[in-house]
Amino acid sequence: SLLPQLINCGQRCDCTEHDLAKDRTISRLREKLHSLLEQTKKAEPTKPLKPPLPTIYVITPTYARLVQKAELTRLSHTFLLVPQLHWIVVEDSPHRTGLVSEFLSHSGLAFTHLHVATPHERKLQEGDPSWLKPRGAEQRNEGLRWLRENIRSQEGGVIYFADDDNTYSLQLFEEMRWTQRVSVWPVGLVGGMRYERPIVEQGHVVRFHTGWRPSRPFPLDMAGFAVSLRLVLANPEARFDGDAPMGFLESSFLQSLVTMEELEPKADLCTKVLVWHTRTEKPKMKREEAMQKQGLGSDPAVEV
Amino acid sequence: MPKRRDILAIVLIVLPWTLLITVWHQSAIAPLLAIRKACHHLVKEIFIIPERLAVRRHRLADDRAEGRREAGQGADSKEYCSSDKDIVEVVRTEYVYTRPPPWSDVLPTIHVVTPTYSRPVQKAELTRLANTFLHVPNLHWILVEDAQRRTPLVSRLLRETGLNYTHLNVETPRNYKLRGDARDPRIPRGTMQRNLALRWLRETFSPNSTQPGIVYFADDDNTYSLELFEEMRSTRKVSVWPVAFVGGLRYESPKVNAAGKVYGWKTVFDPHRPFAIDMAGFAVNLRLILFKPQAYFKLRGVKGGYQESSLLRELVTLNDLEPKAANCTKILVWHTRTEKPVLVNEGKKGFTDPNVEI
Repeated sequence: SLLPQLINCGQRCDCTEHDLAKDRTISRLREKLHSLLEQTKKAEPTKPLKPPLPTIYVITPTYARLVQKAELTRLSHTFLLVPQLHWIVVEDSPHRTGLVSEFLSHSGLAFTHLHVATPHERKLQEGDPSWLKPRGAEQRNEGLRWLRENIRSQEGGVIYFADDDNTYSLQLFEEMRWTQRVSVWPVGLVGGMRYERPIVEQGHVVRFHTGWRPSRPFPLDMAGFAVSLRLVLANPEARFDGDAPMGFLESSFLQSLVTMEELEPKADLCTKVLVWHTRTEKPKMKREEAMQKQGLGSDPAVEV
Repeated sequence: MPKRRDILAIVLIVLPWTLLITVWHQSAIAPLLAIRKACHHLVKEIFIIPERLAVRRHRLADDRAEGRREAGQGADSKEYCSSDKDIVEVVRTEYVYTRPPPWSDVLPTIHVVTPTYSRPVQKAELTRLANTFLHVPNLHWILVEDAQRRTPLVSRLLRETGLNYTHLNVETPRNYKLRGDARDPRIPRGTMQRNLALRWLRETFSPNSTQPGIVYFADDDNTYSLELFEEMRSTRKVSVWPVAFVGGLRYESPKVNAAGKVYGWKTVFDPHRPFAIDMAGFAVNLRLILFKPQAYFKLRGVKGGYQESSLLRELVTLNDLEPKAANCTKILVWHTRTEKPVLVNEGKKGFTDPNVEI
C-alpha cells in the first residue's frame, strides 16, 4: 500500500480511481442527458436536416410612398427576433425597386422579393379614402403563387399576411407557428373599435365580435389569422378576390379553405391582443412642394 | 545489515512526506482534471435544446464578453466551463436567443429617454420600439410616463421585454398639457418627462465616474434604424444628423462644410434658430449632461420649434457639433406619426371589454 503510493507519487493521477462527488454528479448528468436524447430521437421521426421549428412565411404587400422605408425598417426589427421566419415582400410595381432590393439585402432576414402591379382600375386614386378599394390582393396572390411553386408540402409551415404598417408582438408568431389549418386571434384598433375578436366557447369559435358587418363569412382582419402551408398547397385555387366588396377580401380567401367550426383559436382563447392595426400618418409635404416649385427641393438623391 | 533503528528513522522521515504528497495530489489536481475533461465531453454532446423564446439580459463573466451576432447565419454555440463553479453552461448564440445582446464593458451605454402617455396606440408603439431596441447593445431605456402613477400596462411591458430599463413618471399639470387637437405650439409635450430623466441621470451618475454614456431623446412614435445607434455611440459632446419628415420637408439636415463642421441648418421653418434640429436629430454625451447640471429643456415661454435649442444652447456651440450619418447625407431616423385610430363603433358606453388590454 505504501509502496505503490510511493511509486505513483509524482505521476499523473488516473482520476477514475478517485470517486469524487463532482465526478459522480457529472457522470450522472451525462447519463441523464443521453437518455433524454434517446427519448427525443425516438419521439420524432428522423428527417435529415429538418429545421426544428415550422417556418413562418410572412407575406407583406408594399408600395412606394414616403414612409415605405421607415415602415419596412421597423417591421424588419420585429421579424429579426422571430426564429425560422421567411419574409416574402411583394411590391406593387411593374419591377423591383432599388430601395426595397437594397433594404432587403441588408436586413439580415431570409427573404423573397417579388413584384406585381395592381391593374389601374383597382388602384386607389389620389384623394380616395383608404377603404374604397381592397388593396394588396394581387400582391398576396403573387406571394401564394411563389409558395405553391417553390415549397414542398412536407416541409410544414404557416403563412401569415402582415401589412407593413401594423404592429406585431413577438408572442403572436409563437402562437401561430403550430397552426394545423387556420388559426385566429384578436386584432387591436380595427373595425372602429379597440379590438375585434372571435368569440370562443368550449374551445371553438362560435361567432365574431366586430363592429362592422358581422354577417360576413369571416369578419376578420387580414392580421387576425394564419393559414397552414399544407392547407394552401392542398387547395391550389384558393386566392384573394380583388373584386370582392369592401371588407370581404379575407372571406374570399378563407371560404374555400375552412369553416368557422374548424378555426383554431389562439392568444388565450382569443382574449389577448397581440397585434394592432396601426396606421401611419402621411407626412405633411407642403413646404417641400413649395420648395420644389422654386427648384429648391431637398436632394432627391438622399433616400428617405 | 542496516540497524533496526536506521530503518525506523528512514521510515519516520519518508512516511510524512509521502502522505503529504499523495494527499495534496488528490485534493488539488484531480478535481480540476476531472472537471475539465468531463466538461468538454458534456458540452460537445449537448444538443441545442429549443428554449422558450425569452429575451433575457445575462451578464457573462467579464473575460468572456461576446460581441453582437449577426442575424440568421445558423446556430453557433459558445461554451465555457468555469473551474471555480460546478456549472457547465452552454450559451446558444443563435441570433434570437441573445436579445438584448450581452452587456459589454467596453461600449458606451446609450441612455434612451422616451416620454410616453396613455392612449389607444401606446402599447403598440412601445412594443415596436422595444423590438428595435432589443437589437442595440448596451442600451438603457429610460421610459417616463406622463401620469400620476406608473401604469401596470407599461410596467408589465417593460418587464417582459427583457431590456435594461428605468421606469419613471411625472404628470404634466393640466394647464400645460396639449388640449385635444388644439395644438398650442407654446406648450411642447414631453418636456417635464425629459427633464425628469435628465435629473435622474444627474442623481444616478457622478461626473467623476468613468462609465461612458450617450443620452438620446427618442419619442415613442418615431422610427429608428439600428445604424443610428452605432453612429451616436462615438459622440464626444453633441452629435447631429438628418431627420426625415420634419419641418414639412422630406428631411431636415444640418449644413456641413468641407472641413466637416456644422455651419447652419437646411430647413425651411425658421432656419435661424440657434439649433434648428428635431429632438430625434441629436445626441449628447452623458459627461456633458453631468458637467452642466443647470441645463434643462425650458418649460415655459418656449416658441414652437425652439425646445431643442433651449437645451442645446446651454451645452454646446455650433462649432462643437459632430456631424454623423456620412457627414449628414444619410437618413437614419424618420419622424413618423401614427394615425389616431377611429373608435367610432365603441359608441358612448364602449362596446368592447375594457379589461382586455390593447
